[in-house]
Amino acid sequence: MPNDPVIRTRKLSKRYKAVQALAPLDLEVPANSIFGFLGPNGAGKTTTIKLLLGLIRPTAGSAEVFGHDIVGDTIDVRRRIGYLAQEPRYYEHMTARETLRFTARCFYSGPKSALEKRVTETLELVGLADKADRPIRGFSSGERQRLGIGQAQVNEPDLLILDEPASSLDPMGRRDVLAIMERLRQRATVFYSTHILDDVQRVSDSVAILNNGELVAKAPIEELLAGGDGIVYTIDVKGNGSDAQQRVADQPWVAEVQVAREKDCAHWLVRVTDDAAAESQLLRLMLADEHVAVTAFGRRTYELEEVFMNLVEENGNGER
Amino acid sequence: MESASIRLESAGGRGLATGFGNLVDKEYGKWWRTRRALLHNILWLSVINGFILLIGLDEMGGNPYRTLAELTEVFFRVGMFFATIGIVVSTQGSVLGERRLGTAEWVLSKPVTREAFVLSKFVVNGASFLGLAVLIPSIVFFLQTLLLAYLQPSLGPFVLGSLLNIEHLLFYLALTLAASTWLNSRGAVSGVAIGFMFAGFILPSFLPWLLVGTPWALSEFAATAARGGALPADAWQPILITLLWTALLVLAALWRFNREEF
Repeated sequence: MPNDPVIRTRKLSKRYKAVQALAPLDLEVPANSIFGFLGPNGAGKTTTIKLLLGLIRPTAGSAEVFGHDIVGDTIDVRRRIGYLAQEPRYYEHMTARETLRFTARCFYSGPKSALEKRVTETLELVGLADKADRPIRGFSSGERQRLGIGQAQVNEPDLLILDEPASSLDPMGRRDVLAIMERLRQRATVFYSTHILDDVQRVSDSVAILNNGELVAKAPIEELLAGGDGIVYTIDVKGNGSDAQQRVADQPWVAEVQVAREKDCAHWLVRVTDDAAAESQLLRLMLADEHVAVTAFGRRTYELEEVFMNLVEENGNGER
Repeated sequence: MESASIRLESAGGRGLATGFGNLVDKEYGKWWRTRRALLHNILWLSVINGFILLIGLDEMGGNPYRTLAELTEVFFRVGMFFATIGIVVSTQGSVLGERRLGTAEWVLSKPVTREAFVLSKFVVNGASFLGLAVLIPSIVFFLQTLLLAYLQPSLGPFVLGSLLNIEHLLFYLALTLAASTWLNSRGAVSGVAIGFMFAGFILPSFLPWLLVGTPWALSEFAATAARGGALPADAWQPILITLLWTALLVLAALWRFNREEF
């Protein structure tokens, strides 16, 4: 079904003897989204990814990818996935072309000319055409990462799973990776883990944050950046604003008005229940009062780093 | 990428063999598209046929039938001893190395079964090693005996001896692969397989019944058969039991590798 989530986990968990690597996880990843999977080291991100790929077995719970069970139908799951590991390893004696050819042949039987064409196009796409026939053992970490991105998409996957895709790349490489992810969004879902919050904020539609193997937040990126207090507008006001404050507080779409005074100005936080009404009326209400001057007006947003740090600190510091 | 995607055909395939052909080609390339095969070829020609050359030169001018029998005996005994060590050493890392380096994880993230992964290693390592350490030295041996003893071994008995040699080596290949799915160090894997081989030189002196249930008697059988001698009446027992052990070891490798977590 077109609106079914691409990934759906139900109480999916993994335990290694005394260590709970992943607490029961319920997660849904919508189709054609770029889904950022965040968390400090050891939070359970890679464990989740490996569970989805059938590289490890769940201790309890279940998960489906494109409706296929990750344990029983793991081959069907992997047919539709492109995967880039956190530290990708390849056969050192192979060239980049041979590596992509080997990968492509895991998915396609031929014909040979079309397969070679796909390999050549992929090499060009990731900027390795001029190094295509050199053994991988001489590649830099950035070139290996590019090859990794190439092999992850040589099958034109419906779901691309990237584990820390930009961690070993320079800024140019990171930009290229983000551009590839943006482009793939047109026809695929991208599920990626990272600790580079700036990248997440730039490209993700939805975000899940793991800490100590537990899911601590899951929301569309705008919602997460808006904070946990709902929709809040911030207004800086000069002058006597008591009438304006009352008028604003009387609106049915206003839940709360908080005012913090500083010398000759005041900082208002207006929590609203109807964003559309607030967007069209709030500033107008303020400007209608001739006793006040509005010096700043806007919707409060957080930086992802701020949200992330708050959530991780609330739920322990990420150390296992 | 549109034009290519329209024409590409899905690999399809279901069941345990999914990805087997591609993995066989990859393993084959590791032997034959690198210098590995050439190095093995030089090594086995030097060790096995070099040994035959030295003995043959020493025996030249003597009774040609006795020389041929002696060279055949040495060819099988020396060949099987060194080839057994060779197959263990050359394949000890084929599964273990991939488990530790992370290439197994990468391959198994693709639509490839774990059974195909292990079996491709058994098939290609077996065929490549046997070709380089048994087939080519055997062909060269036929030329050597012609030059050194002016005779050639009878083909039928020689082939029978070679088949027993192959069975013996495949047992050690299966043992090495199984050990490399269970153990985490190359030394331990080699130790198990080579230790088992050396146990075969010592234990049967005290416990002769062990020869019935192990491959230890096969080198004796192979040399005897290749010389045209008659095998003992109960020779079928270790021959059959070794085949069963080989199959069981492959199954043990598959069972363990299916439980491996990456």
